[in-house]
Amino acid sequence: MPEQEDRLIRCFASVFPGLTPEEIRQTNSESMGIWDSLSTVTLAAVIEEEFNLEIDPDVLPQLNSFDAFRTYLDRMSSAQR
Amino acid sequence: MKLIEALEIVKRPVADAAPGTKVFLACGFTPLHLQTFLAAHFRELHPEVRLEIKTGRFGDLMGNIERLNPSEIDAVAVLMEWSDLDPRLGIRTLGGWRPADLADIVESAGKSGMRMQRAITGVSQQVPAVVCMPTLPLPPMFPTRPIQAGALESQLHRIVSSAAEYLSQVPGVRVANPQLLAEMSAPADRYDVKADLTTGLPYTLGHASTVGAVLAELIQNRPAPKGLITDLDDTLWAGIVGDDGIDGISWDLDHHTHLHGLYQQFLSSLAGAGVLVAVASRNDAALVERAFERKDLLLSKNDIFPLEIHWSRKSESLRRILGIWNIGADAVVFVDDNPMEVAEVKAAFPEMECRLFPKGDYHGIWKFLRDLRDAFGKPLVTKEDALRLQSIRDAGAWRNEGGAVESNSDEFLKSAEACITLDYGQSTDDARAFELVNKTNQFNLNGKRFTESEWRNFFRDPASFMLTASYRDKYGPLGTIAVVAGKMHGRNAQLHTWVMSCRAFSRRIEYQCLKYLFENLGADEINFDYQATARNGPMQEFLTELLEAPPASGVSLKRDEFFARSPALFHRVEVTVRA
Repeated sequence: MPEQEDRLIRCFASVFPGLTPEEIRQTNSESMGIWDSLSTVTLAAVIEEEFNLEIDPDVLPQLNSFDAFRTYLDRMSSAQR
Repeated sequence: MKLIEALEIVKRPVADAAPGTKVFLACGFTPLHLQTFLAAHFRELHPEVRLEIKTGRFGDLMGNIERLNPSEIDAVAVLMEWSDLDPRLGIRTLGGWRPADLADIVESAGKSGMRMQRAITGVSQQVPAVVCMPTLPLPPMFPTRPIQAGALESQLHRIVSSAAEYLSQVPGVRVANPQLLAEMSAPADRYDVKADLTTGLPYTLGHASTVGAVLAELIQNRPAPKGLITDLDDTLWAGIVGDDGIDGISWDLDHHTHLHGLYQQFLSSLAGAGVLVAVASRNDAALVERAFERKDLLLSKNDIFPLEIHWSRKSESLRRILGIWNIGADAVVFVDDNPMEVAEVKAAFPEMECRLFPKGDYHGIWKFLRDLRDAFGKPLVTKEDALRLQSIRDAGAWRNEGGAVESNSDEFLKSAEACITLDYGQSTDDARAFELVNKTNQFNLNGKRFTESEWRNFFRDPASFMLTASYRDKYGPLGTIAVVAGKMHGRNAQLHTWVMSCRAFSRRIEYQCLKYLFENLGADEINFDYQATARNGPMQEFLTELLEAPPASGVSLKRDEFFARSPALFHRVEVTVRA
């Protein structure tokens, strides 16, 4: 789903400005010093609004990388179908 | 605005040299996305300003306001929610909602409301304060069904309403209008319980965006237009007076033309608040004269000046009106029902806001009047507002009797029986002085504009002073028309700002201001922070005449030079010195 991935990259770019799309794809909270709890909350809010979904607060701590968000979105899309 | 858009707007670069504004966002909850939305909306309104937002401690709105150091900020935005009045009015604390608890909650909220009122009033003495009263619903804590208003719930609303009423009358405080907020953000869509409990921000993203937009609008006052020029047929009234006759035009419910009555009533309201209103109509002047004799017109002919009624092009009428008002096209709104006329005027004056009158459009008239109110709205109406139109009429009499530039003769000025009232001090709560400084273009030393906090900061220096001049003569009063602001360094007066309304030209008031500085302040020399601007030609001409050379940045004038070059002054001068 390239379109979904592009939208997700834009969400990440809005919270972590200055990263290239390739860098964003490799992003995770451990490798990025600026990915703190505030960034997590902001990122979750941006993604919830952008994809019109509600992220369970219990799941949020596990969404600690671009890959994790992509997988989560894929799963949510499949569940909706 | 979506959060992703807000984040993208905020990260747009701002020029290094951009002026900065520091705003303290005072709230008792986590500002989080609200802070982002406020920054984004502010950036949209003021792309050239670098905004810095400071925030306080979670759960302590009162303390955040009371601990504030106003000298470190340019404005404060206070966001009050019910839980700031008593934590039990929110859902993050579990203090009890038993019926026996409720009276205590209301009493505690009342005390908090009073304390908040005092704290905001105190801060507003030094920096402008923007206040948003509770926007979220009260929790389901009352014994009555939610559809029924209980006494205690009503008391809570009264506490908030009283505080809003009080604060809205405090100079320097601007309270967000809850009615407008309700239009922009539906009350049922504002509260995000999950976000409140998980992040501490109780607002949905949509509501956070709306509140951010409202605060951004309120933080910096924008200058209102000075005048409105209106068409007559099918605009001020329904019908064509030349075809339908004097009795055939209407503005009432019976003829289904009430919209025009609303427009007349609105223009009358604008005129009462000091907005200049003129008429430009391609029409028969004699017929229009008779139409204005109708007793049921809601806009008095006395509120209109001038009336340009003839068959020439509209743009020619507007050019003449602008000349008489002596203001720029960018300070005027033009209203006409004819798209061709609107286009012709817009082509002649691209900088003028030209509006099509929504003839026969019931929904359109509401938006039209709201838009006009938004453009012309001002925080308060000053006594000079009531004088403005009359003084422009009087200026016509002044010119006719010989007061125009070339006939600025001693004899004529002597016969004018002029009186100038000079008010000297450091008063920063003179709204008229602040308004003059920020809207005068022609007789303006350097074109510098001030924010409210810059203006107040300027007068924190004990060396600073402000001199205002009010004027009246046998042709009528002009009100406060000149402001001089500067600093005394020993026997040297440094003028940072000097403006005078164009209505007051040719009366030698500017000489009287300088004379006061030399004679009463004991200045030996006056230094002018002069800067040429695209529009301050009259100031350039005055200084050229006084200095006997074209002015340059940092020019100065010695006492003996002034008295040698000043023309004779015939005013009676009254002086008030404030501590």
